[in-house]
Amino acid sequence: MARGVASVGIDRRTWMAAPPNIRLDLSNRPENVVLVRETLAGVAEAVGLDAADLDDIRTAVTEACNNVVLHAYEGEEGALEVEIYAMGGSCSVFVRDRGIGLQQQASEDQWIVGIGLPVIEALASHVDFEETAGGGTEVRMQFATPGAHTLEPTSEGETSGSANGAKGAGASVTIAPVAPLARTVLPRLLGVLAARAHFSTDRISDALLVADALSAHASRSTSAGHLRIKVTIEPRKLELSLGPLDAGGARELVSGSTVDGVGRVLEKLSDHLDVALDGSYEVLDLQLTDRR
Amino acid sequence: MASTAAVVPKQGLVPGKVEDVAELFERWHRDGDPVAREALVRRFMPLARRLARRYERSSEPFEDLLQVASLGLLKALDRFDPKRGHPFSSFAVPTILGEMRRYFRDSGWSVHVPRGEQERALKVRDAQETFANEHGHAPTVNQLAEYLEVETGEVIEALQAIQAYEALSLDAPRPGADGDAMTYGEAVGHEDERYELVELDATVTAVLERIPKRERMILRMRFVEDLTQTEIAARVGVSQMQVSRLLRRSLDQLRALTQDTKKAL
Repeated sequence: MARGVASVGIDRRTWMAAPPNIRLDLSNRPENVVLVRETLAGVAEAVGLDAADLDDIRTAVTEACNNVVLHAYEGEEGALEVEIYAMGGSCSVFVRDRGIGLQQQASEDQWIVGIGLPVIEALASHVDFEETAGGGTEVRMQFATPGAHTLEPTSEGETSGSANGAKGAGASVTIAPVAPLARTVLPRLLGVLAARAHFSTDRISDALLVADALSAHASRSTSAGHLRIKVTIEPRKLELSLGPLDAGGARELVSGSTVDGVGRVLEKLSDHLDVALDGSYEVLDLQLTDRR
Repeated sequence: MASTAAVVPKQGLVPGKVEDVAELFERWHRDGDPVAREALVRRFMPLARRLARRYERSSEPFEDLLQVASLGLLKALDRFDPKRGHPFSSFAVPTILGEMRRYFRDSGWSVHVPRGEQERALKVRDAQETFANEHGHAPTVNQLAEYLEVETGEVIEALQAIQAYEALSLDAPRPGADGDAMTYGEAVGHEDERYELVELDATVTAVLERIPKRERMILRMRFVEDLTQTEIAARVGVSQMQVSRLLRRSLDQLRALTQDTKKAL
């Protein structure tokens, strides 16, 4: 970087001993920035981050994402990947693209001359830029978050692997550890996606109930330590797949959603449930529609 | 915050002829030339305005925010040293943001922001009800955004904020909904007996009886009668948003109670 970026060499290999707590695989569509912002709010709730810190992080990360949306692919569609590391006293967010690279953007007077970078520098305690393998850019931001809890991912590096799950309107999120993050992130994620699928507020609220039911039981149905939720969107229709679940885990998850006097919440609220196999693991496929 | 609108259009920030700016700074710093200062303010005011707009959704009036951002800009103009070779914007942005954050902290950021959120949430809630009453079904987020003339992202974030509120004033009677209207108990009381007959299983009622009657009614309407949340809201006399929160909360409670019961066995 030619300009005065406070580079402290944030290197994932040495500095990030553990995989991220959250990995989002999205396309660089503008509407996905809201998804990133809501995911950050979910993490903030899980680690007890105060509102002012969350606001700063969201502002900086929004700028980094906006750059990917507007400039990284020169008007084409491409990947927007976000990793979040909640490490107690600090929180790191990596925003990555596979696009034209910052050097070229800088030479074309893009974002770099705008206020995106100064805003990030003002709000983050450290900023670093890396070229990604494909020639794109990774913006690594570290924020001081005194008082926040640490979330130790228990997964064996699975959340760092590429999910390749988010072309077009869809989204893929991988979380570890499952229990605390599912509770705070899944409802926000499904809420945003249901809104985008043109669900009515009635059905958006049902999507939240589905997310709650999945969150309450998912960690008991998987021993992998992480959970990946892929969502594809069509008008008035969401298709979710959740995995990796243990053998029998998908059924267990559905029957576990039974609430006395109410029934199986997941069956009652979804339009279709199915179990698929992914290697030795199971994946729960769930379909939500809004039939008005 | 708007998802894309926050990004600066190219022409907004590029200061044009760099030597002009340097010359203006020299005239201001060395000679105290107020004309030069005014020219600098005019040139960089769009930057302050843009930064102020970032915080527009808090409860502060935009004019106040702009004033604080302008103050930050003036401080930056006074302190900036062009000889160091950095562009002014990279010095001004942190200074202005710092000024705004200090202002918010001094005036009680933690108090003001939630109030702004709450106002927005109330607007979204009211719009939802107006729409549902007029059309007979719940709106989509796009329809709400169009109705309120805001971005869909803002509606989504407001809906999320509503979910986060525990009771608060969102549960309070709305204007026009109080007065001589039937109380909730009066409105649904006659259905109670029928409901109790549905649940014959002793263990089922043991858990269910531990949550309030109103919540049991709402659960039954949604999961046994398969009513939509808007239909339930109309029957019960609360907002759909509140039905949503009551459903989530009572299902959470029931899950916990069911777990406890299983452990006890």
